[in-house]
Amino acid sequence: MTMDRRTVLGLGGVATAGVVLAPGMTLIAAPPPDKTEASSDQRWAMLIDVNKCDSNCTACTKACRQENNVPLFGDPNRDIHWIRKLEIRDKEHRRPSVSLPVMCNHCENPPCAHVCPTQATFIRKDGIVLVDKHRCIGCRYCMLACPYKARSLVYHETSRNEDSNPEVPIRAKGVVEKCNFCVHLVDDGKQPACVQACRNEGKHAMIFGDLNDPQSEISVKIRTVKTQTIRADLGLKPHVHYEGL
Amino acid sequence: MRSLQSHPLKFTVLLALVWAFVLVLPTMVVASGSGADVTQHSKSAYTGGPPQLENAKGEACIRPSDWMRRNHMDFLKHRRAQTVREGLRIRSESLIKCAECHQSREKFCDQCHNYVGVAPDCFECHSYPK
Ligand code: SF4
Ligand code: SF4
Ligand code: SF4
Repeated sequence: MTMDRRTVLGLGGVATAGVVLAPGMTLIAAPPPDKTEASSDQRWAMLIDVNKCDSNCTACTKACRQENNVPLFGDPNRDIHWIRKLEIRDKEHRRPSVSLPVMCNHCENPPCAHVCPTQATFIRKDGIVLVDKHRCIGCRYCMLACPYKARSLVYHETSRNEDSNPEVPIRAKGVVEKCNFCVHLVDDGKQPACVQACRNEGKHAMIFGDLNDPQSEISVKIRTVKTQTIRADLGLKPHVHYEGL
Repeated sequence: MRSLQSHPLKFTVLLALVWAFVLVLPTMVVASGSGADVTQHSKSAYTGGPPQLENAKGEACIRPSDWMRRNHMDFLKHRRAQTVREGLRIRSESLIKCAECHQSREKFCDQCHNYVGVAPDCFECHSYPK
């Protein structure tokens, strides 16, 4: 999909100039403790460096489908997308177009949650916006409310096959779902599937981490590099940040 | 005159009642006496016989078995809500742990669920851990 750069950016984000610190990455996590719970001590977020993202690469979108059992029905009006690749360009063509993945922004002020009549959509304590599929009635108010087109209704039955991920439910017909920051992996101290795939592809365009931890790679980068969020003018405070837009 | 006329009427009614009783009684005996018939009838709905639970591996359940028998549905549903909404994950009490002892859903969960005719739809989306 190609979109106008100013449309995607809205009025743009805050510019902070500074030094880039070398990212320290030690992600071999010890097995998680027996009992864990979401807590407001964390604030999960993502940072995507569009300079490192390649317009031909679909590693993240493929990984998301594989990890979360998100099928493709082959009908553009009905297909489920938790993460999409966008091409955006400058209206005056002063800059080359850029390619970036777009998923749920896990907004701090999520209109999707505000309009949900059943409280199926809610913000977890650590900032992840989730859909409780057991409560969702498929009314699709949230799809209208989300300005990022992050949500999809599952129009058709889906089924499990030998390639499905047994750890994750298959998508249920009649409920609205979206990127959940791979909450099952994050709760186990792992990184979301798209981030892992991007790294395995050698691109390292996506980082995921805790904004409440000032030492985390993502906090350091957001403090020190110019980053933006999409349509910051809407005031939803997205937590997917972009570098190089 | 009046009594002569009303007497046969009363007698007829009484006779009818007696006959009705005589006719109905054997039917009642058949209905209550032959349990086989009743089972035969309900067999079209359920074919598995009384629940035959496979012996669980493992030493003991995470809760006393009789408590579990009565409360597992509320327990699971409460945990489900806590897990989805509060991110509570207790790894020693997850469904993966259930499946370590009760390895076959068909030979465990489904046995009673089919017998009592309840159809929880958990496993239409989730897969029972292997
Ligand atoms: S991006 Fe859309 S779906 Fe995600 S939290 Fe924001 S409004 Fe809700
Ligand atoms: S479709 Fe589901 S999640 Fe969306 S607003 Fe309706 S009930 Fe809430
Ligand atoms: S965080 Fe997980 S659910 Fe969200 S886009 Fe990435 S892979 Fe998909």
